[in-house]
Formats: sequence, C-alpha cells, structure tokens
Amino acid sequence: MTTIVALRCADGVVLASDRRASKGGMIGSKAVKKIYPIDGRKAVAIAGQLSDANYLVNLVKAEAKLMEFNRGFPLTVKEVAKLLSNMLYSGMRNYAPYITELLVAGVDETGPNVFEADISGAVTDEMFTSSGSGSPMAYGVLEASYREGLTVKEGAEIAKRAVRSAMERDPGSGNGVQIMVITEKGSEFLDAGGAA
Amino acid sequence: MLPRGSEGAYMMYTPDGRLVQVEYAAEAAKYGSPVVAVRGKGFAVMVARTKEPDPLLDPMEKIHMVDENIGIAGAGFTGDIQLLVDQARVEAQRHRLVFEDPIDVKTLVNQLGQFMYQFTRYGNVRPLGASLIVIGSDRVGTHIFQLDTRGLLLSGKALAIGKNSEAAISLLRDEYRQEISMKGAINLAVKALSSAEDGESPVEVGIAKGMSFKKMCLKDALESKE
Repeated sequence: MTTIVALRCADGVVLASDRRASKGGMIGSKAVKKIYPIDGRKAVAIAGQLSDANYLVNLVKAEAKLMEFNRGFPLTVKEVAKLLSNMLYSGMRNYAPYITELLVAGVDETGPNVFEADISGAVTDEMFTSSGSGSPMAYGVLEASYREGLTVKEGAEIAKRAVRSAMERDPGSGNGVQIMVITEKGSEFLDAGGAA
Repeated sequence: MLPRGSEGAYMMYTPDGRLVQVEYAAEAAKYGSPVVAVRGKGFAVMVARTKEPDPLLDPMEKIHMVDENIGIAGAGFTGDIQLLVDQARVEAQRHRLVFEDPIDVKTLVNQLGQFMYQFTRYGNVRPLGASLIVIGSDRVGTHIFQLDTRGLLLSGKALAIGKNSEAAISLLRDEYRQEISMKGAINLAVKALSSAEDGESPVEVGIAKGMSFKKMCLKDALESKE
C-alpha cells in the first residue's frame, strides 16, 4: 500500500511518494513520511512495512555516517543500495524477511543514480522506477513520459503526475504527494501543493 | 618486581610510562630491509630490494599485491608481514563482497592499524615485529601510508621504513621536489634505498596510478612510458 517513484535526470534525481499509511481497510495515517535523506545527496523512498523500512534506513544512515568519518568521503549511491540489499538478503535467507522495497537515489561522483532493492535483496540499477501498490498506475505515466536527459524540474513534474495518477485509482495510496529533488548542490523537499 | 624473563606475559607500563614490549617490537621492525615510497602528482611508487639471491632458492618477493589498486611492502619479521598482508587481502575482498567496489586505501590502512594496535593492549600476546608501507590509488586519489608496530598511521609525500631508514628519510627530505616525474620519483626512491642499504640484489618497484597498482622490476619501471 503506497506509491513511490524515483527518476534519474540529467542534473540530479527525483523521488516522490504519496502520504497514506494503511491499517487493514483503514487509513492509519494521512501524513506519513516515505522519503528519508541518508545524507545531503542521497535519499531512500520506502514501501511496505513501515517499521522494517525505518529500521533499515536508520541502520544504513548510521553506517554511512560512520564510514564517512572513517574514510573521509561519503558512500556512493550504489554502496548505500548494497548495504541495504545485504540486510534484505540475510533477512530473507533467515526466514525473517524485511517486508519492504526501497528506492535508493542520489548524486555522487559518478553522477545521478537510482537503484531499487527488493525484499529478496536484489539490487537493480534503474533510469526510473516505482514501487508499492500504486506502482502499476505510476508506471503507466512514467513509461509514457520519461525520457533520457530530463531536467530535475521536468522530472519532478512527471513524478508528481505519476503519484497523482496512482492515487486516483489505488485505494492504498493517497493524502497528498511529497517530492524530493537532489542535485549536485544538495537535496530539498518540494511543495507539491495540498492533498489530492 | 617480576621475575626475570616473565615480562613478556604482561603488557603494562613501566614506571616512566613506556610500553617496552612495543618498543622492542619496533626495534625488531628496524632490522628489516628498507622500503622507500614516494608520491608524485597522480601517482605513487615504492621500491624495495629482494633478499640477496641464493642459487638454490627462488627469490622472495618483497612487494605484495593486495588488490587491483593497492600494494604493501613490509620490514621486519616475514611471518608477521605475511599475516598482515593476508589480513589486508581478506579485508579488500570483504569490502568487494559488501559493496561491489574496491576498497579505498584509507579504509584498508585504518583496519590494518587497528589490527596491529590490538597487540599492544593485551598481555600474553606479542606485538607484531613489522612495519608496513601501503601505497594505492582509489577514487579519492593516490596515497602512501606507513604503519608501525604500534598501529600508528603516517602519510605524506615520501616515506621510508626498515634498516637505516633515517638515512633514506634525510636524503628524501633534501631531494624531494613537488613536481617530481614518475621516472624521477623511482630514481629518487632507489637512491634513498641505496643510501640506507647497499646491495646488488634486484630492486622491485610498485606503482600506483589511475585506480591500479602494478609490480615490476626496476628496468621495466624505468622503461615504461612515463
């Protein structure tokens, strides 16, 4: 229950999410945060079990900071994705999987990057990707609108449309859109306008 | 007062605040044949002489490959050096398993330093009688590091360890130039090495440059395009 998307653009990456948390047939919360910064130039969008995802994100955030202190430069986006996937994989292998899917996006010295890590620990390198119950609807918009060389401004517009479309037809998604844009200069949340 | 010969079981300060076992170990490392490393713009080199050749034995290598981008040469007990090289190789591969990327030099030397330091904290262990020079190239740049028995980590433009390394260091201090070429750096390092130890045995050269580390004989190193 969720819609999250991440896009790789020419000058950065865009992450977007809805804001609904479901509790069975009920809406558990109407203002949930599903995009978490790892550091100034990397963020993770989460889908699935909120507690599992939060646990993994917090662990990776701590690990990333420690490593940056020790070696003197930050992790790459791929390294963050690999750290998450290693935990996801060991969870699956130990019959106690983390019920979550994570989109890792950010800018490092190799440029803008988007990765997806799923419940099994599989990591894929993507141009654009979506996850959660609303992803089939979001993919419809992304497949039709995404092209290489988008600016983050154009990317943010497409991401917003993708999440909005999902919110129209997926009962698990709704209560507004949150967008994060990450460029070389840093990251910021964009105001996507009131709840839709 | 401890009975004579039993002080090895303890890793404790003397009344004047020294850890003599660690100092003895550092002394052991000073007997090893010297290694010299020089860093230039975008590259780093290290040189060491292999053991005096014995017609019956295969020559022993002095410079060890750790990963595609990092090499190590040590001075001191060969067994201790081999232990550290093995440890470094395992660390490098462990990093590749976790991150699918080669380890950076700083992370590797930090881990080796911690490993060596552990032997200075507990009794009933022998601090490693070895110091190391680690050179490598990663996405941050090109580095030379020196690690001693205590786990102390040094980095800089030019370093030397082993027998008579003071002589090599004073020569490097006088003759090192900021804009040194690759060939110049190799020649300077060999000159410094020879000031510390004269010998006829062949010189091994390790070159770190552009995310890779290569080991070769002196002749090949000087004839390469740089």
